[in-house]
Amino acid sequence: MGERSIGLPAGFRDIVFDTAERRRRIEGEFAAVLNDAAYREVVPSMVEYLDLYARGNQGVRERALRFLDRDDALLALRADFTPAVARIVAGRLPDLHLPVRLWYSGPVFRKTGRHSAQYRELAQIGAELVGGLPPEADAEILDVALECLARAGFTDASVHVNHAGIFRGLVDSLGLEPGRLAEIRSAIDRKDMRALDVRLEELGVHGGVRSQVGALSRCVGDERALEEAAGSLVNEESRSAIASLERLASALPRWKDRIVYDLTEIDEMEYYTGIMFTFLSPRHSAELGRGGRYDTLMREFGADLPAVGFSFSMDALGECA
Amino acid sequence: MTRRVLIALPKGRLYDRATGLLARGGIKIPGADGTSRKLVLADEEGKYEFVPLKPVDIPVYVESGAMDAGIVGSDVLRELESDVYEPVDLGIGRCRMVLAAPESSVLPKGGALRVATKYPRTTERFFRDRHAHPHIVRLDGSVEIGPLLGLSDAIVDLVETGRTLRENGMRVVEEVAAVSAKLIVNRTAMKVKSADIRRLVTQLDTVVYEDR
Repeated sequence: MGERSIGLPAGFRDIVFDTAERRRRIEGEFAAVLNDAAYREVVPSMVEYLDLYARGNQGVRERALRFLDRDDALLALRADFTPAVARIVAGRLPDLHLPVRLWYSGPVFRKTGRHSAQYRELAQIGAELVGGLPPEADAEILDVALECLARAGFTDASVHVNHAGIFRGLVDSLGLEPGRLAEIRSAIDRKDMRALDVRLEELGVHGGVRSQVGALSRCVGDERALEEAAGSLVNEESRSAIASLERLASALPRWKDRIVYDLTEIDEMEYYTGIMFTFLSPRHSAELGRGGRYDTLMREFGADLPAVGFSFSMDALGECA
Repeated sequence: MTRRVLIALPKGRLYDRATGLLARGGIKIPGADGTSRKLVLADEEGKYEFVPLKPVDIPVYVESGAMDAGIVGSDVLRELESDVYEPVDLGIGRCRMVLAAPESSVLPKGGALRVATKYPRTTERFFRDRHAHPHIVRLDGSVEIGPLLGLSDAIVDLVETGRTLRENGMRVVEEVAAVSAKLIVNRTAMKVKSADIRRLVTQLDTVVYEDR
């Protein structure tokens, strides 16, 4: 007891007055857009079995704040909404009409390094569309997300859109043994293209294939970036991924000047199976939110359904409003 | 609308070489030679703002987005396991990180080994890859004294010429990593301030590869 019990543990904070009111207003705008678009609210449990997070985005399990139940079972504070939403949908499937549209808002808790600049409690608001296929479902989820941002006044926000299949197809076509792939993926992720090229040459990758890696690392911009990528990549998976982004582009004419095609990113964690995207604002030094398609996640909950979703950081939105 | 690009410069042994490289890339920073006492220095063209910082803090600033970019040694970067882009290996401040031990000694096997270092995480990863789990002692300065005073059996530290090791009767057992300074960039800044940052990357890349 004493002084310690009056302060807060490292990585936590109180949100008060202006910030709290600003967040409430943003949440209200988002909720109105989501409800209008027929998304229904869910409030997943704040406490889960730790093993829930063994499914889906690897890395979340390691970062969950854990504690013991009375029978010594490992529990965790909610560390991610998406697996909980997947469980909710899978468990109620016979009663649900597909596709299922859900939204959620609340805190998640994640470990940080000691003395880190990050908080351990993160406020999120997001939505999931389960059972819908691209391009329609992808276009719908981006449309809803961009409408949320617009309605809440984030008029200069943009979304950087990519497709996990583009780099995956290219990396597969390098002809490397599986043991090398993690190293190459992480090198691509660091963006030192010269060092990557030297390494690929050492590994015996043909110059024609290496030049595609270099070309892809420059594909950022409007729809011309897609054309450019289509012109330089030869493998089938990459080309079909680019084609699906082109279909997405034509389905979203309204948001044309909000969308940046950024094909330079690799999904290093191999979580996404289709489109993946990041919301950014020139007024904020961290991303506002992110999302994408994860068609293999629901299977881990016993329901083989495609899914796409997004989640915004209310912390970032509140700071940038 | 978009703010200027904020770049962290490493105080200490890399500082002059980093500002020299920037100057050769066409980025002149009045006052960077120590004549200014300002905490933030602007370049002549007013595209960038530079803040000299302690190297070990630079990845923290850049990863969090408090700074957009920075110049820092790969030793510090690997130790902090920072999640940032590293688009250019600047080739300055080259040295080796090595495992070293006293000339005469035979290293004990497995868990009995004690290693003193300023780089505990890098050291742990190095030994883990070799399926070894030594006892790692974290020190902040003059690591090479560890074995002399009986604190540890070996050290992991940076070696430029090898003179310090020789003068203290130590030998290199194995190289842990090649070290050089990198340009690092915040993940969001790379997208939000992409035009200015890509220009910076090209300017530095051109100078660095002229030299090779």
